[in-house]
Amino acid sequence: MASSPTPSSPAATMPAATVTGISPKGLSAGSIGLLGATVIGISCIAPAYTLTASLGPTAAAVGTQMPGIFLVGFLPMLLVALGYRELNNAMPDSGTSFTWATRAFGPWLGWLGGWGLIVATVVVLSNLAGVAVDFLYLALAQLFGNPGIADLTNTLWINIGTCLVFMVAACYVSYRGMETTKAVQYVLVAFQLIVLVWFSISAVVHVTNGSAFDALPFDASWFNPFAVPSFSAFAAGVSLSIFIFWGWDVTLTMNEETKNPETTPGRAATLTVVIIFLLYILVAVATLMFSGIGTGEFGLGNEDISGNVFAALAGPVMGPFAILLSLAVLSSSAASLQSTFVGPARTMLAMGHYGAFPRRFARISPTFKSPGFATIIAAVVAWGFYAVMRALSTDVLTDTILTLGMMICFYYGVTALACVWYFRKEALSSARSFFLKFLAPLVGGVILAVIFVTTLIDSMNPEYGSGSNIGGVGLVFLLAVFLLVAGIVLMFVMRAVNPAFFRGKTLRRGTSLDAQR
Amino acid sequence: MTRTANYVVAYEATDRGRDAVQLGVALARLTAAELRICLILPTSSAVPAKVPAGASEYGSLLAAQGRDWLSEAADLVPSDVTATTHLLWAESTSEGLIRASVQFDSDRIVVGAASYGVLQRFTVGSIANALLHASPVPVALAPRGYLAPAAISRITCAMGTRPGWKALLESMVAISEGLPVDLRFVTLVEVDAARSGQAIDLSAASAAHLTSVVEHFEKDSTSSGFVTTEVAEGRSVEDAVEKLDWRVDEIALVGSSRLAQPSRIFLGVTANRMLHSLPVPLIVVPTAAAANSPS
Repeated sequence: MASSPTPSSPAATMPAATVTGISPKGLSAGSIGLLGATVIGISCIAPAYTLTASLGPTAAAVGTQMPGIFLVGFLPMLLVALGYRELNNAMPDSGTSFTWATRAFGPWLGWLGGWGLIVATVVVLSNLAGVAVDFLYLALAQLFGNPGIADLTNTLWINIGTCLVFMVAACYVSYRGMETTKAVQYVLVAFQLIVLVWFSISAVVHVTNGSAFDALPFDASWFNPFAVPSFSAFAAGVSLSIFIFWGWDVTLTMNEETKNPETTPGRAATLTVVIIFLLYILVAVATLMFSGIGTGEFGLGNEDISGNVFAALAGPVMGPFAILLSLAVLSSSAASLQSTFVGPARTMLAMGHYGAFPRRFARISPTFKSPGFATIIAAVVAWGFYAVMRALSTDVLTDTILTLGMMICFYYGVTALACVWYFRKEALSSARSFFLKFLAPLVGGVILAVIFVTTLIDSMNPEYGSGSNIGGVGLVFLLAVFLLVAGIVLMFVMRAVNPAFFRGKTLRRGTSLDAQR
Repeated sequence: MTRTANYVVAYEATDRGRDAVQLGVALARLTAAELRICLILPTSSAVPAKVPAGASEYGSLLAAQGRDWLSEAADLVPSDVTATTHLLWAESTSEGLIRASVQFDSDRIVVGAASYGVLQRFTVGSIANALLHASPVPVALAPRGYLAPAAISRITCAMGTRPGWKALLESMVAISEGLPVDLRFVTLVEVDAARSGQAIDLSAASAAHLTSVVEHFEKDSTSSGFVTTEVAEGRSVEDAVEKLDWRVDEIALVGSSRLAQPSRIFLGVTANRMLHSLPVPLIVVPTAAAANSPS
């Protein structure tokens, strides 16, 4: 470390000096290697949670084509993530869709991009907590050998109350600024991977023994995404696939923290996606072979189990070891619940700072140095959303996942197109620029826009998702529209209350060639 | 004097942080030292969440807030005391403070010790507690709501009879070097009501011990104040501390436990209980730190 500054003038005029030798941004610089970055990547995706929440809805949408859809669904994610990486490199002091989109498109679309991100994370927070609640009671039932305990999750007030406990706990941990240690992350990731592989092998063994629920012989055509019957089904499947890979892009944007910023993020992202691909394909194929896509007790088409497939399948597939799967999903969703609080809280903090949200959101807790107000608001809203949804629809998890898919498409789409627009003046400067800063995000953004519009229109159908509807209009559509319209209304309220941000006074719009820092 | 002593002040924008600045000011005035007011911000590591948590943007917003907080802290320092402010990043606050004390070659870390919310005067807060387990330099603990007096008029040194008191004595010599403050050596005696006869013996032994302490002290001391001794009796350590009279412009000095590793502080049981009823700031001196105590 370099020597310390030795100032000696009076206090009142002394500027804040930064001790040298420490990364000025406060990132733990250069501490993460390839393995660590890959573990973080897999942690972000939280495969055990993601699979239990998405297998049912995806099977319902695309049937046996699920493995193929998983493969093709990665493409828009990859294209958008490439754009993300360029934005991250060009504006390293930004860090969210809000700041990026504001700088590229100006305050209005920037505001909506930030809103999309916040809504998506609030929805996923409520879904994570919901899955955690189900698995808590399931794990307790398995532990005490009393199936009655698992049914407690169906009692509305117990379910909502337990969800509140999870929310408060996760919010508290985030508020205190505590982070999961590396060792815990490694253990959680290894545990998830082992149990999911175990589950898949068990399922296939049941099929070969003839003891599967609704054995479906494996067919190579499952990998053909274009065998999906309709474009609507295809769009719904891709939208869900975005959800299952959601979080993968984080590895690509981890620069300063890695030991070798040139190569580590790219390699870690590749390794992560290879592992996740193999895992998803394995689990998807094994589950299809075991359960089929019918609507029977353990069929993937059964709306009662589709929002949380592993809760239903753990026992029949893994027998006495089912509790391991429960623990894997419970730990995966609980850890993800806690870490997911950080994203929306920091985005709201940035929005508060630039005057896009009320100033209070910018409050940083002086004791814990965390975005205190924003964290609490995220918890309150996520829990409120869950409670209302749970009361409205018993298959709340399926519908929130479908809504979530749309919201992710929305804010990823906005971010991808922001990338295209921001770099428009240097798009033709080199082949690399053309591909990474223009073509990839453009194609990714357009795919997401098409998927978003298609699923939005389809979701008006009352049969969409869990079949919940209000006045003959699908609940998923109402939810998505409500969330987006609420954002637009709030945006105009903020415009009236505090116009500085909307006049471009706090965050200036520009392009990559504006010589911004 | 070859160098100006400096003290790291553990600042946060709370009442506890302001307590620390006040004590820093009081100590700086006593020994003509400078203050290094440090605000420790947490390093953000990659958070494994589905949403990129924007560590760098958040880091710069946090740093901006930190600079605002530090300028508030600088405003708390009166013009007769020299202070600089520093923004540091570390995984934990105590780790950052210790690193700062090493980097600035500081003589002491000053921290607000109160954990606000409980009624007790001195319930050691988590940061102070972590420092007491790991700091290589003396740690000065500010009680809740502390206000710096114009000058400190007396230093009280709590002495045990166990081995190790000589190290504490050396730091008492060092801290009072050339100062016109009164010095008081006290020993706390727990009196069990049922065995009051024993207690009288104990008190007598303690008084004798204090006399030899003072003899030792006066051989080396260059202080110009009055030296007094006192044996305080009470049903408990807390009680004994309350029996003593305390001036508002006084500070107390105590050694670290024999459990501590060399030059690491570890607050002993007695010292820990003293904290509960002590109305004045307490400086805890590591076992082997006497040699490099402030000059």
